[in-house]
Amino acid sequence: MNADDLKALRNPLILLAVIVAIGAGAIYYLDRSLTAARRDFAQQTNLMRDARTKLQRSGDEKLVIVRHLPNYKNLERLGFVGEEQRLNWVEGLRLSNQQSQLFGITYQISAQQPYPYASDLNPGQIALHQSLMKITFNLLHEGDLMRLLATLGKQGAGFFSVNRCQLERSGASVATGAAIRYQPHLRGDCELAWITLTAPPGVTAEKKQ
Amino acid sequence: MADSLLICISAAQVSAATWHDGRFARCTVFGNDENGVVAFNEFLQNSKRMPVKVIVDAIEEDYRFESMPHSFGSDRSEMLNRKLKQHYRNTPYFSARLQGRDPGKRRDDRYLFCALTNPELIANWLKAIQARDLPVVGIYLLPTVSAVLPEKLKIKPPNLLLVSVHNAGMRLTYFRDQKLRISRLARTETKGAGAIKGYAEEISNTRLYLHALRVMTLDEHLSVLIVDGNDSLSELEQSIGRDSPNIDCRRIGRQEISSSLGIGIPSLESSSDALYLHLLGLRAPEHNLAPATVTAGYRQHQLRRGVYMLTVVSTFAIAAWCALAVYQIIDTGIDIENAKKQTSGLQSQYLEETRQFPAAPTSAENLERVIEISKKIGATTRSPELMMQMVSEALEQNPAIHMRLFGWSYDRAEIANDGNASKSAASATNIPPPPPGTDGRKQSALIEGEVRPFRGDFRAAIESINNFAASLSKNAEVAEVKVVKMPLDINPTLSLSGNTTDSGEQTGRAEFKLVIVFKQSV
Repeated sequence: MNADDLKALRNPLILLAVIVAIGAGAIYYLDRSLTAARRDFAQQTNLMRDARTKLQRSGDEKLVIVRHLPNYKNLERLGFVGEEQRLNWVEGLRLSNQQSQLFGITYQISAQQPYPYASDLNPGQIALHQSLMKITFNLLHEGDLMRLLATLGKQGAGFFSVNRCQLERSGASVATGAAIRYQPHLRGDCELAWITLTAPPGVTAEKKQ
Repeated sequence: MADSLLICISAAQVSAATWHDGRFARCTVFGNDENGVVAFNEFLQNSKRMPVKVIVDAIEEDYRFESMPHSFGSDRSEMLNRKLKQHYRNTPYFSARLQGRDPGKRRDDRYLFCALTNPELIANWLKAIQARDLPVVGIYLLPTVSAVLPEKLKIKPPNLLLVSVHNAGMRLTYFRDQKLRISRLARTETKGAGAIKGYAEEISNTRLYLHALRVMTLDEHLSVLIVDGNDSLSELEQSIGRDSPNIDCRRIGRQEISSSLGIGIPSLESSSDALYLHLLGLRAPEHNLAPATVTAGYRQHQLRRGVYMLTVVSTFAIAAWCALAVYQIIDTGIDIENAKKQTSGLQSQYLEETRQFPAAPTSAENLERVIEISKKIGATTRSPELMMQMVSEALEQNPAIHMRLFGWSYDRAEIANDGNASKSAASATNIPPPPPGTDGRKQSALIEGEVRPFRGDFRAAIESINNFAASLSKNAEVAEVKVVKMPLDINPTLSLSGNTTDSGEQTGRAEFKLVIVFKQSV
């Protein structure tokens, strides 16, 4: 092919290039549109499948609600589900001190924070929180610690977990070695994590509102 | 079939016809003179961009049948070009075609060389064509065009002499085994009473000429095909049949030509060259005399057509793809709408179903999950009770050990040995991730105490501490017991000082620190 041939082919080649360029643009645009449409269809199909599955399992869902609702209400009453009940915790602590015949409990509650082990519990849409409470108290003997914790648990003031505890002999008692009756021999401090969770409202809850 | 312009140039006249849809209506005839060229120029004005095929019917032609060593590729091309240049120095219009192989041992290639030896004959006409930028497909000698005729008439004798009468004279073309071998245009009287006799003599002379050329012997049977386009040679057929017993003569008249070749009578009668123009329109022969310089326009024409064809094909392909894609997009859009409607319907049905559910503060899934989480947290909650019991038992077995501080921790990290609580597990970065199904926390305890009574015997004190640690280690729940501080630090990298006074009283203190770590499952 020589220069004359190329000159003769100039216009046809320009036309071909324009057609190919326009075609490539159209193909690119339509391909993207088609891909997007297929993706939307796949998403919509998944939504439809989920809706169908949900409808098919509505009977099971009803059974689940009937079976678990009493336990859920109980946990709600205990203060595990819903907002923090700090007043209940403090009241429970006060009552526990009285019932355990201790010499008073000093407490300090930190700000609410996410529960650090939530990811191990597969919580889904449920939000788990904890508030750390540090308590300090005097004891006659080591057994009082367990009695205090057991009494606090029975108060039903909330759901807590013991993170750490420390018992230390009072200095005077250790020094003299002679214990005076009804005088605290030990000083204790513990860290409790009051755990709460909140679940999003369900369809039936929304419906009732 | 593509449109083309067919032209036949002879010394007497030039015939032109426009080939369209496998036929032409009629020929336009021009005289081979200046007026003819002017008229031809006017004729060409209506033939824009139309490919042109040219037949030359002239006495100034040459045919050579030669054998050459068998070769192929560039060797063959070079050899043929050399031969053509050698034979035809004064004309650019020549060609060579392979006609087969010699039967001898060498199996040489047989070639037919042919040429138009007087290029001036077509110069003015070709100039007129090129002035109009009409692409020249090829230039062919009339006998090469007529080679199609026996094939179309299904006449296949080994020796065939095709005879026809033209304005310029009588054309005699010889085919050996259906392949053109030689042709000559004899100037004879074409009118008057002596014409038929003259034709018959030319046929006899041609036979002698073929014998002289050693193409065929006189004993061989010869078939003569008289092409009689104006039905004027029936007498010649009879004359040959009567005078030459070893010649098989056949004449095809106007009607037979028309019916056999599909050329209309008016077209056939429009020119003496009409038949050959028709044959050229049907199929161009391989013997193309036109050099590359003449056919350059046609090559460009073909390239342009190719690119335009490619453009058309591309346009259709793109349009088809786009149409399919648009259809699929619309179809998918309809499917999406249908799926949305179905989803909406299913959700409505589900809502209807949920009206019969007992009122619940959250979904069934969340209810179940909350219960599950409460159980899991309950299962992972620990108290210091077990650790305290274990330490208490160990203290009973080791009365010399007096505990001053007991620390307990339930965390991913062990309790710190300085008496403070362990660092928060969430902030600890060097803690390995917990195994699946657990939160990775474990119980650990710190015991600070002393050996009493202590009278300066460090060895005995250390032994008591080790015994205490050993008592703790015996428990199945214990993973590890570490004495993190001994009464006497015997580390050789540190300085050590003391008093060895032996006394029955308490002297100094034998303090220690010990860390107990439970197994993770406890």
